[in-house]
Amino acid sequence: MSNEFCIKEFPNGLTLLGEPMPNVSSVGFNVVIPGGSSRDGDDLRGAASVGAEWLLRGAGSRDSRALNEALDSLGVQHGEHAQAENFGFSATQLSRNLIPSLEIFADIILRPTLQGETFDPCRALIAQDLHGLDDEPARKCNSLLREKFFPAPLGYIPYGTPESLAAMTDTALRDHLVGLFSPHGTIIGVAGKFDWDEVCGAVEKLFGAWNGAALPQLQTTPAKTQTVHITRNSAQTHIALAHRAVISGDEAYYPARLAESVLSRGMGSRLFTEVREKRGLAYHVSSSYASLLKHAGMFTYAGTRPDQAPQTLEVIISELQRLADGITDEELTRAKTQIRSMLVMQGESTSARASSMCSDWMYLGRLRSLDEISTAVTAVTEKDVMTYLERFPADNFTILTIGPEELQSA
Amino acid sequence: MEFKEAQLDNGLKIIAEVNPDAASMAAGFFTRTGSRDETPKISGVSHFLEHMVFKGTERRTPLDVNLEYDRMGAQYNAFTSEENTVYYAAVLPEFQNSVLDLLCDIMRPALRQEDFDIEKGVIHEEIAMYQDHPQFCVYDNLMTLYFAPHPLGNEILGSVDSIANLTRDEMQDYFDRRYSPTNVTMVGVGNLDFDAFVAKTAAMCNHWKPFTAERKVEPWSGTGKSQVMTDSKLMRQHLGLMSAAPSCQDDTRFIAQVMATIVGDTTGSRLYYALVETALADEAHMTYSPMDGTGSMLTFISTDPAKTAQVRDIAAGELKKFCEEGPTENELTAAKNKIASGATIKGELPMSRLTAVGFDWVYRNEYIPMQQQIDEIYSVTTEQVLELGRSIKLDKTTTLTLGPLESLD
Repeated sequence: MSNEFCIKEFPNGLTLLGEPMPNVSSVGFNVVIPGGSSRDGDDLRGAASVGAEWLLRGAGSRDSRALNEALDSLGVQHGEHAQAENFGFSATQLSRNLIPSLEIFADIILRPTLQGETFDPCRALIAQDLHGLDDEPARKCNSLLREKFFPAPLGYIPYGTPESLAAMTDTALRDHLVGLFSPHGTIIGVAGKFDWDEVCGAVEKLFGAWNGAALPQLQTTPAKTQTVHITRNSAQTHIALAHRAVISGDEAYYPARLAESVLSRGMGSRLFTEVREKRGLAYHVSSSYASLLKHAGMFTYAGTRPDQAPQTLEVIISELQRLADGITDEELTRAKTQIRSMLVMQGESTSARASSMCSDWMYLGRLRSLDEISTAVTAVTEKDVMTYLERFPADNFTILTIGPEELQSA
Repeated sequence: MEFKEAQLDNGLKIIAEVNPDAASMAAGFFTRTGSRDETPKISGVSHFLEHMVFKGTERRTPLDVNLEYDRMGAQYNAFTSEENTVYYAAVLPEFQNSVLDLLCDIMRPALRQEDFDIEKGVIHEEIAMYQDHPQFCVYDNLMTLYFAPHPLGNEILGSVDSIANLTRDEMQDYFDRRYSPTNVTMVGVGNLDFDAFVAKTAAMCNHWKPFTAERKVEPWSGTGKSQVMTDSKLMRQHLGLMSAAPSCQDDTRFIAQVMATIVGDTTGSRLYYALVETALADEAHMTYSPMDGTGSMLTFISTDPAKTAQVRDIAAGELKKFCEEGPTENELTAAKNKIASGATIKGELPMSRLTAVGFDWVYRNEYIPMQQQIDEIYSVTTEQVLELGRSIKLDKTTTLTLGPLESLD
């Protein structure tokens, strides 16, 4: 599980990370650019999402169709996403198509045409995504929970609001995007089969002359703990709740992940056993950890038929809180094996490695080998997990429910 | 990469694609049974049984099964379709023997009444969960509209009533008729020791008694019906179009795969340019599903209720035009490159490769190395795609829509 990393930091603030992987013929890369939906501003909510769509509607000398065809003809599997704190571009392809694919993404990032005539469909698509959330109560419940839990504007639903989208103009969005994109803090992570010197040369040529300053500090408004119910005549009551967790750069990160595993990794985990296996209250129940740069949470979700919703919430909260009473040696050992095994399996995927490298660099400012993580996970004791749970107890929940009736008592 | 095969005396087949360079291994039992093999009285039993397989055996409690998998750090689960029930797990190679012990043992489940009763609640929750997913509802109802009375129109989950009425003994009876070793294949992929793989499987499964588990396979080309399902609480109109396609056993399946990519891939396809790029729909994509003795092309679209008729007409127009003109050379090349690249990337993970290797065997008793599959894709011509589109009548669809509308016109 030893990894061989290559790192090159460019004078303009861009960092290139590489991890050659044996026995693969594909290569994945991720480009992470600071910004994202938290930078939309009140007047332009939804800007990052509409922007991520708009960037693909023509770049360099290619119009929208030619751009799509260029990526398709290289067989590139790609995705462009506006996340809370950054724009993420991901692409996986056969090794021989890496450089041509990077060239296209350099056009998309540095030379998007952003023409007025292509703006409206992009905005309309995001408006439809926003509308579509209403038809998927589980997804809506989890999205709204983030909005209520994280300090504003970090958790905002990235699609914006019907009003902000209606008011958005192509000129305003163009100005916003041009001012936002900068090499400062931008990370390109490449994993799989590639020639490092060739990649360095290509990135130097494509992104070396790119200039821009670091983004100013983001102003946030602390979130208030609250319980929100949305009435909907759905088949299930959807229950989502969140409580504070340690950020991924903290030394208590590994105890936090082990606590998460005991709670919810695998069908033998506490939540699955108590909610589904013993009581048959839900098909889906899970807790997962999510971290931004300065804020993190443990997010728990279950869908259950309305008459069982109060009991389901009660059992979930009881399990979240019971962790602090102690975990057994067997649970800890099991959780460690699960995490180590997951790391090895993720280590087989070029796209997963490219993404992990970028996250490490963004949150920690360095790269962790799978060996390092494995050693750190192995070293965690029961006491470490308990100390963590004292620091971050399962209380002050933010709770979001969608269903026919409000839950009376939690 | 090396292909290996073996067979136990009771008829259980064991196959593997061995890759000593992989970091993990995956193994799975592919059982040739699903909702198409059910009668209305026991609708949903295949899927319910899949849940019960995790509920323990003579020597393992339900919790034992889950904990043992978790102690190995396994990625494990199961799925049930219209015609297959697959139980799988991926682990690090050091757990090969342990994971086989567990996988093989649970394939002879105890089906205890108490566990059956609790799990019935979970199945009811799963049915309710999918009712809150319009895309799934469209799929489920469209399959029935397109296939019924063909057994492929049977619902995978069953209905609230059929599940409520199902008894433990009916499930046992179904198990005794379908889970013959002759109807199950053990598949391994990745870094595994094949001799030990066979030895362990034999030690665990040799006592399984063989019997005949047949399936009636009849061709089907769709009813061509239309249905509007109204749900006033939905904000979007969800549309599904289904037409006939080659079966799993048909040599033209590679052509069909290329065709679905050209017509309906999520990016850069005919439907993408006509509907998504123009923002008439936020989703419009086609998937090809080859099945036992038949197959289908399913197009799924999500749009504004007010634009539904326009969107349906545009989609229908695209399918008709494609049947008349076929693809361009550029479209063909791009589709081939996308498929080849996707297959390669998936093939690098034992867990993703498992289903491809398993289904090639289940449906055709053959092993197709990845490179050969890619070569087959690259050999497809524009003429073949055009000819297939015409012969399967890609534009003759069965249509179902779900949303606030009461009628489409």
